[in-house]
Amino acid sequence: MAKFFDVIIVGAGPAGSLAALKLARAGVKVCLLERGPYPGAKNMFGGLLHHTPVLNDLLPDFTERAPLERHVYKKVMAFLTPTSSVSLSFDNENFDNPPYNGYTVFRPAFDKWLAEQAVNAGALLLCDCTAEDLFRQDGRIAGVTVKGREGELRASIVIAADGVLSFMAQKAGLRQNLEVTTTGVGVKLLLGFPEEMINERFHLVRDQGADISFLGAAGDMRGGGFLYTGRESVSVGLVLHLDSLKASGKTLYDALNDFLQHPQVRKLVKGGMPLEYSAHLIPEGGYRAIPPVFTDGLMVAGDAAGLCYTNGINLEGINLAMTSGGLAAETAIKALKDGDFSARFLSLYKKKLDASFVLRDMKTFKNAAGIMHLERLFQTYPQVLAAFMERMYRNDGTPRSKLLKLARKEAMKEVGLSGLISDGFKIGRSLL
Amino acid sequence: MNIENLTQLTQFHVDEQSHIIVNKEICKTCDHLACVTACPANCYTWDEATKLLSVVYENCLECGTCHVICDKGALDWSYPRGGYGVIYRLT
Repeated sequence: MAKFFDVIIVGAGPAGSLAALKLARAGVKVCLLERGPYPGAKNMFGGLLHHTPVLNDLLPDFTERAPLERHVYKKVMAFLTPTSSVSLSFDNENFDNPPYNGYTVFRPAFDKWLAEQAVNAGALLLCDCTAEDLFRQDGRIAGVTVKGREGELRASIVIAADGVLSFMAQKAGLRQNLEVTTTGVGVKLLLGFPEEMINERFHLVRDQGADISFLGAAGDMRGGGFLYTGRESVSVGLVLHLDSLKASGKTLYDALNDFLQHPQVRKLVKGGMPLEYSAHLIPEGGYRAIPPVFTDGLMVAGDAAGLCYTNGINLEGINLAMTSGGLAAETAIKALKDGDFSARFLSLYKKKLDASFVLRDMKTFKNAAGIMHLERLFQTYPQVLAAFMERMYRNDGTPRSKLLKLARKEAMKEVGLSGLISDGFKIGRSLL
Repeated sequence: MNIENLTQLTQFHVDEQSHIIVNKEICKTCDHLACVTACPANCYTWDEATKLLSVVYENCLECGTCHVICDKGALDWSYPRGGYGVIYRLT
C-alpha cells in the first residue's frame, strides 16, 4: 500500500487539523491520520478553547459554525482548605463581547468539526489509523507505517501532532519517554444539568460561561481542580503532578472523590447527571522541557512538542497547539516550494515558533514550572489565606490586630521566615 | 457517587487483543506499584496472596499514566489498533 503525499500529519487534534487546513488551502497534497474512529474520540481537556488568532484568520465565521458551548465571562480562582474556600471572582462585561476571550467546548465535537474544515479544503482524513513507526529513506524521515496494515504511507514531510505521548517524536529520536516530574494527569467528570440550573447556580445569562480553578483541591498532593460550564453540562476534575500522585500512594479516584465531596464543591456539582468520565496526560515541564521540534523530514507540533504551560493563572495548550500547527504548515509550504526537507531548512519552523507568542509566553514563564513544585503552594498557602480571612471576620471578644500584622502572624505560624523569603523569591521570579 | 464505576460512563470499542503487556515477574519485585493507584480507570490490581499484577485493558482510557509512572520497564504499552479502545463522545 505505498501511497505518496506531500505532507502526512499524524494526529487529527487541534494542531494536526489546523496544519492540514492550512496546507490543503495552499493546494498541498496532505493526508491526516487519526487513530480514533473520528477526530476527537481520543481527546480530552478541561474545557476551554482560548481565543486563537490563527483560527479566526483561517475560519473567520467559526463562531457561527463551530460546535461551541459558552463563551467565558466569569473567571474564578478559589483557594480551598478542607473546610473553607476563598475565591477571587472576575465577572467582566468586556469578556461578554466578541471576539470572545475563550469558549468552553467538547473535544469530540470541536476536533471533529475542525478536521472536517480541513477535509472540505481538500485534505485526506484517514480514521482508524494508528501510526506505528516512521519510514526512512535517504537519511531522512519520509513517511509512516500504520499498525496492522501492510506497506507505508510516504511523504516529503511528516508532521507529528500525535499528542502528549508522541511516539512519533520518540521514534524520530527527538525525545525520550516522559518523566513523572514534568507530566500531569487530568481526570474529568462531565455532569449534565438543565441549562437554567447552570445559569442560576453560576450567576450567568444567555451563553455566558464560567471557568473556575481551585488551588488546594487535592490535599497534600500538588495539583489543582477545575470546573467549566457547558451549555447543559459542567466539566469538573483534577490535574495532579504524577510524581506527587505516585509519592502520595493515594488512588486517583479517591482524590477526585474527595474533591467532589468538598463542602463548597459539592454544592456546585449537586444534582448533576454523570455523563462521561475521561483522563489525559498533560505536558507540564514548560519551556525547559521542550524537545527539539524538527529533524530531517519531520516537524513536531502541539502537545507532542510539549507546547503547553501553566503559571498558576493561565493554563494554555490548545491555542499553542493550533498556532504551532499553523507555523509547521507555513514552513512545509515553503519547503515544498524549494524542494528542501532537510533539518536545516525545517529549522525555520523553530524560528517561527520563537517569534510567536507560543514560545515567547512559555519563555516568559519558564520558571513557573518550578513553582508548581512548591508543596506549600497547594496546601499551606490556601490554609494561611483562609486562616487570615477567618481571623479578620471572626468575632470572639479578642482584640483585633491591624491587617498586615495579622497576615504576617498567620504566615509565620505556618511557613516561617526563611520559607516565606524563599517562596516569595521563587514566585516573584516566575510571575512578577 | 461511586467512582469505581465511572468508566462505565465511557464508551469503548474493545479489541480482542490487549495493547498492554505486563511482565508480571518484574512486578513481583516492584516497591511502589504506582500503576495500581495512579491509573484513572482502575485497570491494575495487585493480588497480595499470589503476588500477581493483573490488568484489565478493556477499561483503559489510553492516557499513558502507567506508561510514564512505571520505572521498572515492566509495561509494554502502546496505543490500540486504529478504531479500537476508548471513544469519547462529549468530554
